Amino acid sequence: MAMSDQEIKDAILEKALKNKKAQLYVKDFYKCGPDAKARKIKNLANELVTEAKMVFFSSGSTTMYVHADRQRSEEVN
Amino acid sequence: MAKHDTPLLDELESGPWPSFVTDIKRQAEVNPDCWDILGQLELSFKDRITHWKHGGIVGVFGYGGGIVGRYSDVPKLFPGVEHFHTVRVNQPASKYYSTENLRALMKLWDKHGSGMTNMHGSTGDIILLGCRTEALEPFFWDLTHDLKQDLGGSGSNLRTPANCLGESRCEWSCYDTEEACHHLTMHYQDEIHRPAFPYKFKFKFSGCPNDCVAALARSDFAVIGNWRDDIQMDQAEVKAYVDGTTIPNGGAHRDGDWGTFDIQKEVIDLCPTECMWMEGDELKIDNSECTRCMHCINVMPKALRPGKEKGASISIGAKAPILDGAQFATLIIPFIKVTKDDEFESVIDVIEEVWDWWMTVGKNRERVGETIMRVGLPTFIKVMGLDPIPQMVKEPRSNPYVFWSEEEVPGGFERDVDAFRKKHAA
Ligand code: SF4
Ligand code: SF4
Repeated sequence: MAMSDQEIKDAILEKALKNKKAQLYVKDFYKCGPDAKARKIKNLANELVTEAKMVFFSSGSTTMYVHADRQRSEEVN
Repeated sequence: MAKHDTPLLDELESGPWPSFVTDIKRQAEVNPDCWDILGQLELSFKDRITHWKHGGIVGVFGYGGGIVGRYSDVPKLFPGVEHFHTVRVNQPASKYYSTENLRALMKLWDKHGSGMTNMHGSTGDIILLGCRTEALEPFFWDLTHDLKQDLGGSGSNLRTPANCLGESRCEWSCYDTEEACHHLTMHYQDEIHRPAFPYKFKFKFSGCPNDCVAALARSDFAVIGNWRDDIQMDQAEVKAYVDGTTIPNGGAHRDGDWGTFDIQKEVIDLCPTECMWMEGDELKIDNSECTRCMHCINVMPKALRPGKEKGASISIGAKAPILDGAQFATLIIPFIKVTKDDEFESVIDVIEEVWDWWMTVGKNRERVGETIMRVGLPTFIKVMGLDPIPQMVKEPRSNPYVFWSEEEVPGGFERDVDAFRKKHAA
């Protein structure tokens, strides 16, 4: 059965918390909802940012996601 | 009074050209923090390394683009640039401003930032240089609420779309580039402000193949005006060019002594597909062979015009050299109608087809042109449901950038990539 949006969001958060590297690309979350389209995963990951559960990490040329609990100092590089 | 001695930078003011050093000094009289830009840059010149660190968790709430973090790695020496984030503001289509708007924008930037700007960035945005982290949210609030303007794109987002002047000023425009650019900017707000892709993605809109925004070299998705029927010709005007009554090139090169206009030498022999000839004093074109280079039209604008059935060609996959070197875009859709009548649905359908494929198949930090190169053009064409045509492969992608190797530069240069990476880890 297809996962609900909430289930996918939970899986994304768990991945963001447990992944070895704190910074993840949106693509790294695709497996959190194997049946969902890529754009759906992107929208759910972005919802988690709006809910302040994840934050964006930007290098200027790319943007990654970091679990809010793993956010280090602002000058993380 | 200058806060730091900057002998190396001062040399940059001695040449014949306007210097950014003079500009920064002028701004430093207003905002003393700007002395530290000069101080840090002088140190960089001495150390032969940048002292900026970039990136980080910096931005406005809910946005994953529009602000690029910049920090000094020597903040104790230069506290004025300890935080010096770059803000990208979405420029209006064709960069038409009222002076009232420009003044309001600058007032806002003087209030919240350094007052330094870069008009415009290569993507087209209004670039505001130098903001402290705590000033970002207040700036953003004022920008969006008082000026009703918004941030542009950065990171792995859709970047701020850009267009040529199009129908607002240019008789060659084959579609309304401003309307297309504005409509798609509004349609894809989410993609501009939040990351969506393996890497950056750029749209650019040129009204004709003269391609004044250089979409073909600079955008992942280039929409370049084109026509499907024949070049419109006025034989009486052709004669007027030939007999010297009308000056060629709209008078653009009249300062030089080029002799009398020679249609054979200056137009027919330069047609890249050799599809033009004279029959008596009539100019003939085999339009089925015309590759839409615009040369003949540019030289004889009164005699020749783009056809009447207008639209655009879509080329995909240009990029600057990060991986694999620079490449031009590849023609994918030879002709498509681009019109507000269908809310630009025809173009949107192509865009989303490309995105759906690239978001799944593209690797992290891989531009769509690199993905196409990796899987091969035939696969991409199949995914897009298209039949191959010679124009897709006719001109091998050429490198529009020039690089120098160490041997070619007097005195050479040394660069320890490993040490650099260590200091500036991604
Ligand atoms: S690209 Fe063509 S239509 Fe656009 S401004 Fe240049 S010449 Fe005019
Ligand atoms: S537009 Fe270029 S290719 Fe076409 S006829 Fe004119 S010169 Fe030849």
